[in-house]
Amino acid sequence: MQKNNMIICRCEEVTYADLKKTKEKYNCTARELKLRTRAGMGYCGGRTCRSAVDKIASSLEKQKEKDIIPLKYQPPVRPVSFADLGGEHK
Amino acid sequence: MTDRRILDHPILGEQKSQKEISFTFNQKEYKGLQGEPIAAALLANGVRTLRYHEESGTPRGIYCNIGHCFECRVIINGKQGQRACLTPLEEGMVIESPAPLPTPVRDWRYENA
Amino acid sequence: MHNGIIIGAGPAGLTAAVTCAENGLDVIVLDEYMRAGGRLLGQLYEQPDGKWWNGIKESERLFQQAVDLGVQFRFGTAVSNIEYLDDMWVIYTEKEVLQTSNLLLATGAAESPVPVPGWTLPGVMSVGAAQVMTNVHRVKPGERGVIIGINVLSAAIAMELQLAGVEVASLTLPRMSEVTDVEAHPKEVMDSLLHVSHMAPSPFVKLGSKFMKGDFMKKMGAAFYPKNGVKMWDIPIQLRKAVIEIYGENQVEGVTLATINSKGDVVPGTEENIAADFVCIAGGLYPLAELAAIAGCPFYLVEELGGYVPLHSEEMETTLDGLYVAGNITGIEGAKVAAAQGHVAGLSIARNNGIRSLDYKIMDAIQHVKTTRDHAYIQFHPQIQKGRSKIQDQWNTYQRNVQEV
Ligand SMILES: Cc1cc2nc3c(=O)[nH]c(=O)nc-3n(C[C@H](O)[C@H](O)[C@H](O)COP(=O)(O)OP(=O)(O)OC[C@H]3O[C@@H](n4cnc5c(N)ncnc54)[C@H](O)[C@@H]3O)c2cc1C
Ligand code: FES
Ligand code: FES
Repeated sequence: MQKNNMIICRCEEVTYADLKKTKEKYNCTARELKLRTRAGMGYCGGRTCRSAVDKIASSLEKQKEKDIIPLKYQPPVRPVSFADLGGEHK
Repeated sequence: MTDRRILDHPILGEQKSQKEISFTFNQKEYKGLQGEPIAAALLANGVRTLRYHEESGTPRGIYCNIGHCFECRVIINGKQGQRACLTPLEEGMVIESPAPLPTPVRDWRYENA
Repeated sequence: MHNGIIIGAGPAGLTAAVTCAENGLDVIVLDEYMRAGGRLLGQLYEQPDGKWWNGIKESERLFQQAVDLGVQFRFGTAVSNIEYLDDMWVIYTEKEVLQTSNLLLATGAAESPVPVPGWTLPGVMSVGAAQVMTNVHRVKPGERGVIIGINVLSAAIAMELQLAGVEVASLTLPRMSEVTDVEAHPKEVMDSLLHVSHMAPSPFVKLGSKFMKGDFMKKMGAAFYPKNGVKMWDIPIQLRKAVIEIYGENQVEGVTLATINSKGDVVPGTEENIAADFVCIAGGLYPLAELAAIAGCPFYLVEELGGYVPLHSEEMETTLDGLYVAGNITGIEGAKVAAAQGHVAGLSIARNNGIRSLDYKIMDAIQHVKTTRDHAYIQFHPQIQKGRSKIQDQWNTYQRNVQEV
């Protein structure tokens, strides 16, 4: 029980059960799993939870990861405020 | 409170004296040391909760303490999304926890999908 | 315009800056933190010669050296994006946009998580967070803590907490699950613990490391490991217990511990509560390489280096023009190795800026990285050399392929 309620992605509060059930329902790839649950897509950009989310995704997938990958990171790697974009400072 | 501070350390020695200054966090006044990170100043005052999760409202404090996790984000002098763990404290700073979002959105999750 | 821009003022970035400046380059260092040193700041341990390695002093020394040579610094400056436009690297920060033809990424490492029920409660922090709070900011993370995850870093930090007068109630394991695997497995942990044994005055652990060389012996070690643990620096190390849950109303009040068997499974009915006002999560380190990923560097997963690392040469170049990497972004190692790599990167950047006759210096500097590695006191992965040669092989293959095209 505790394990299912356990939060994996802190930013988006995605639990182990969220990931597992989404996987079961859609039988989706690791990438789609992240998009559907938003695990790893929070404010920190996945810096905190990424490795845990990846582990679960691959353990659910039962498929060996390839060792070369284009690491998927989207800019900005630090959130940018609208004021900053406009060059204004409050 | 001073006993949360490590004033004397067997290897690092005495803490360099820094100027004591005042600031507010969620309208309450506190004292801290000039230039120390806001998160350290608050912890020295026994304050661990820096914000509440936008959707669920669960309390959050520092996690990484070095700018990676953004768990410590607060509003500083009106500016949103500032990391308390790496922003130096200044005299008279007004620090606030961000307000939770008015409507919790969870409908993209499996239970509602 | 600068001859070079360095992102990260840790030991790698600082040393690279010093080297560039010594060769007459005009460089600027950007860091989102409020002062120089990176993760070196928090480090504090006794070296084999009895001298203390004081990260704050080392950081200040390097920083002062750089300042004296005219290196410019921008602190509180987070880089959110980089891109290559018209033969120049464009660097986006919150405040300004900078350009350079030589960019060094020295962004270091980040901590891997170990999710545990209750780990979002205030008072739960990464073990590095507790290190920085204690040694750098001189504020106690709490009065009494539990550290979840037993590895080189958490053992070292447990000792540092103790030194500062903070009680460590237990150094223990997370419960085994799909998210934890090796960190929760007593045998695997025993394995890695053998690598900190030289830092431990405890006769048990020291003896243990002599006897437990073979795999079989390690299994036995985990099976016969005393249920109540052993003490290292007076801290109970509990390989036969695991944290089931962190509890507390609005912040940490304690953890629920249970006994686990040698395979890591919980023995039902053995749960007990331990009071604590803070909890540290120690999941190990991985290279923080997000900017290299955005830039378009190819990556390799090298377990021995701590995760995905951008492809790079011994001279610290990436496959992209004018983009260099140094320090923990290339693999998890101690601060001295990071600094040695920074020196190589600085020389490579100087050479790329047209400074001549640096080839021999670069060769020596590469050799120095290797010697420093061989003599490292703290090793994050026992097979680090193997990891380094894996990347080198990939680099050679890559170069061959490029030449063929
Ligand atoms: C929590 C923690 C504790 C450690 N403890 C030890 C220890 O006790 N002993 C030991 O030998 N090693 C320890 N290490 C390993 C440590 O990484 C190396 O010893 C060494 O500090 C690595 O140096 P570096 O220069 O590569 O990176 P770092 O020292 O990590 O410096 C990187 C710098 O880059 C900055 N940065 C990162 N991203 C950005 C960005 N986007 N924009 C602007 N600035 C950015 C950071 O603020 C940081 O100052 C620890 C690592 C961590 C993460
Ligand atoms: S913890 Fe998952 S995105 Fe931040
Ligand atoms: S505590 Fe992680 S960013 Fe401040």
